[in-house]
Amino acid sequence: MKPSVASLYQAVEIAQDIPPLLIGERSNTNGSKKFRDCLLAEDFDGCLRIGLDQEAQGAQILDLCSAYAGRDETADLTRLVKLYAESVKIPIMIDSTTPDCIEACLKLYPGRCIINSINLEDGGKTLDKVCRLAKKYGAAVVALTINVKGMAMTADEKVETARQIYEQAVGKHGLRPQDILFDPLTFTIGAGDTSLLDAAIQTLEGIRRIKQELPGVFTVLGLSNISFGLPQASRKILNSVFLHEAVEQGLDAAIIDPGKILPLAQISEEDRTFCFDLIYNREQGEEKSPLMRFIDHFAERVETTEADETEEKRPEEELHQKIVRGDKDGIEDVLAVLLDRYPPLEIVNQILVPAMRHVGELFGKGELLLPFVLQSAEAMKKSVAWLEPHMLKVDQEEGIKILLATVQGDVHDIGKNLVDILLSNNGYKVFNIGIKVPAETIIAKARELDVDMIGLSGLLVKSAIVMQESLPQYREAGLKVPILLGGAALTSDFVATSCVPNYDAPVVYCADAFAGLKALKDFEGGTLKATVAAPKNGQPRMKPGVKDVNIDRSHPAPEPPFYGLRHVIDIDPAELFPYVNEQALFRGRWGYRRTSSTSAEEYTELMRKTVVPLYEGLKQRALSENLLQPKAAYGYFRCYSEGDTVFVEDGDETMAFDFPRQQSPPHLCIADYYRSRDEGGDVAAFFVVTIGEQIAVESKKLFEADAYHDYLMLHGFSVEVTDALAEYWHEVMRRELGIAAEKPADMTGYVTQGYQGSRYGFGYPACPDLDAHEMLFKLLQPEMIGVTLTETMEMVPEVSTSAIIAHHPQAKYFAV
Amino acid sequence: MRYICANCGYIYDPAQGDPMNDIPPGTSFDDLPDNWVCPLCYADKDTFDPLD
Repeated sequence: MKPSVASLYQAVEIAQDIPPLLIGERSNTNGSKKFRDCLLAEDFDGCLRIGLDQEAQGAQILDLCSAYAGRDETADLTRLVKLYAESVKIPIMIDSTTPDCIEACLKLYPGRCIINSINLEDGGKTLDKVCRLAKKYGAAVVALTINVKGMAMTADEKVETARQIYEQAVGKHGLRPQDILFDPLTFTIGAGDTSLLDAAIQTLEGIRRIKQELPGVFTVLGLSNISFGLPQASRKILNSVFLHEAVEQGLDAAIIDPGKILPLAQISEEDRTFCFDLIYNREQGEEKSPLMRFIDHFAERVETTEADETEEKRPEEELHQKIVRGDKDGIEDVLAVLLDRYPPLEIVNQILVPAMRHVGELFGKGELLLPFVLQSAEAMKKSVAWLEPHMLKVDQEEGIKILLATVQGDVHDIGKNLVDILLSNNGYKVFNIGIKVPAETIIAKARELDVDMIGLSGLLVKSAIVMQESLPQYREAGLKVPILLGGAALTSDFVATSCVPNYDAPVVYCADAFAGLKALKDFEGGTLKATVAAPKNGQPRMKPGVKDVNIDRSHPAPEPPFYGLRHVIDIDPAELFPYVNEQALFRGRWGYRRTSSTSAEEYTELMRKTVVPLYEGLKQRALSENLLQPKAAYGYFRCYSEGDTVFVEDGDETMAFDFPRQQSPPHLCIADYYRSRDEGGDVAAFFVVTIGEQIAVESKKLFEADAYHDYLMLHGFSVEVTDALAEYWHEVMRRELGIAAEKPADMTGYVTQGYQGSRYGFGYPACPDLDAHEMLFKLLQPEMIGVTLTETMEMVPEVSTSAIIAHHPQAKYFAV
Repeated sequence: MRYICANCGYIYDPAQGDPMNDIPPGTSFDDLPDNWVCPLCYADKDTFDPLD
């Protein structure tokens, strides 16, 4: 592996294909006034913004320094390290010379960072301490060529000092050469100091020789010092040319302001010549010194693009943009300005709500993806929470009220919670009363809270039935408010034909949370209508499936390794990640879809920059915080089929699993894949697997803390890791049955069932009925791995899945 | 152009068609009927993203 450093999110190679590695310098109390002001004002988010800006401008690592006289460096730096580690995607460089402070930071940082810096100024005492820390925590170190005599000025001194440091760090402390980045020091050639006329030459020579004489080490420069004392506009040009020259000599990394470096191609030949003359101290036979000629040449230049000089926006516009961009940082400042001019309710109704509506429109047009909508909602939530103490109580109670619940027996709440997030951040009053709520409770609460609307949610096929069957109860209770229905098992046809007639006010199907938002807008406008049946294309949905109906009943049953049940509780969670269906996670669960306005390249870029780092970060976090506790209850049982029933023998007991048969050709039924008693009987395999409740607990915390975006990400991750566990365990069982010869090459192979046999999840299209769980739980006793059933036979925790496994080669997915 | 199901990752390749739904090879995604569904997870046509 190439020498790299890493954050929680990504690894960065020190030797870049196109050097140098850019280390952002602005998060430094000694180098940035803005950073220092933020720190002194205890505005840590402000400090972080400076780092994020540097990252956006192309920094690949961030130098982080909080040393400031009179402040507690360790307290400040540990706090900043924590903040940066979470929010900045690139690795950091701990800039401190205090060993205790360095160690406190190393302990906290979830990755491999660089320590900046060590030197031999005190003869090596501090160096010893810091090298021990670098060894202990696996960090890299920057080593400055400073010895007891002071800073090394000549190339000889620089190389000699580097060699001494090398001997101690590598020879004595066991660091590898690749763990060290030597900084041969840069002195200004811009201040007219005659002792420094050849300072740039000495530094460049130092780089070349250190690389040559100490193989394997890296070099780094604090670059901008070279031009200290010169006017801003010319500094940028000299820094850029000097950087180019240093890289030519073998420089690996540069500590710079990445926004202030120009590509050489953008610098004119003429400008370059003046820079070269200054760097290489070329007299050129002229009267004036290279420095004077440099200053004269650049005298008329003014800095054209300063990031700090961006135009002042009107605060109304700024708040609008912050909501649309989902940018919470500093939103209170904008709100404070606006609060001087408008009553709080007006800010909500005239700026915030319209901004969120605009976000909804952008989503509808495919210009904004769900995760970004959630960030907007977070900014909205933060704004309203900030304004609330300024609002009258009566103002806060205004508006349309809706009650949300996941129906009886169903524990799934991501859909309902997304509706909650969207509606409550669009100015509606939402009462979210939770999961598994019986109709009686919903009716009582709707009356008590005097709501204008009810929204019912549920993922399962069973939940669609619960909705259909409970509607007459709502009617008999005399409710007259519209009811919105949402859930994966619902279709507009089902709602129109089976639900609408059961209730007196409109019953409306909502395909997603945005449809729910639209329904509320229609209600406000007086145009909300019950869903009507409109099959697509005038045709019912197609029913895909294998057309092959001649199932070979002579296929022999494999020999399982044991009969009966087993529980496995020591599955390594890292084993599951290769089985995660990343496409389903990124696009389906997380909503990072490729819309019509996105090119394939833009989408790849979105994946590379945002989605993959997010996923890698979650995997790491899941492992380090032990959020995944995969367990399996599984077994093999003798069985035989009879018609649509599979009789499963467990000791003295025989259980009858009845499976539905397709109503239309080819009339498949799961029982068809098992041989009858006369045909010699067969073997049925089952499993219940779970990744444990811890990750669900974490998800819930995020939702309750209004961290909507992170909530969707963690929840989606948990759902797909659960599926990965099912895929993984299915493969384990195929191996145990000796039918794993065809192993799919990639995830597409698993998606398209490129293996022998099939697994059918209870509650899914081939056997939608969950009642079989009662027998399954007798067979496998999954209570022992922490999985239980609700009164409607649904498994808890939600991140569990069950299946019957058919070994028959013709067995594939189908729907009844 | 190929399309991918955002719900399950199934890839519709016009060169292959979709035998599970009796769609012959050479049928472009646009020409699939509106009531066509993902042959693996039964998601609607609008659950598909362009892939290439």
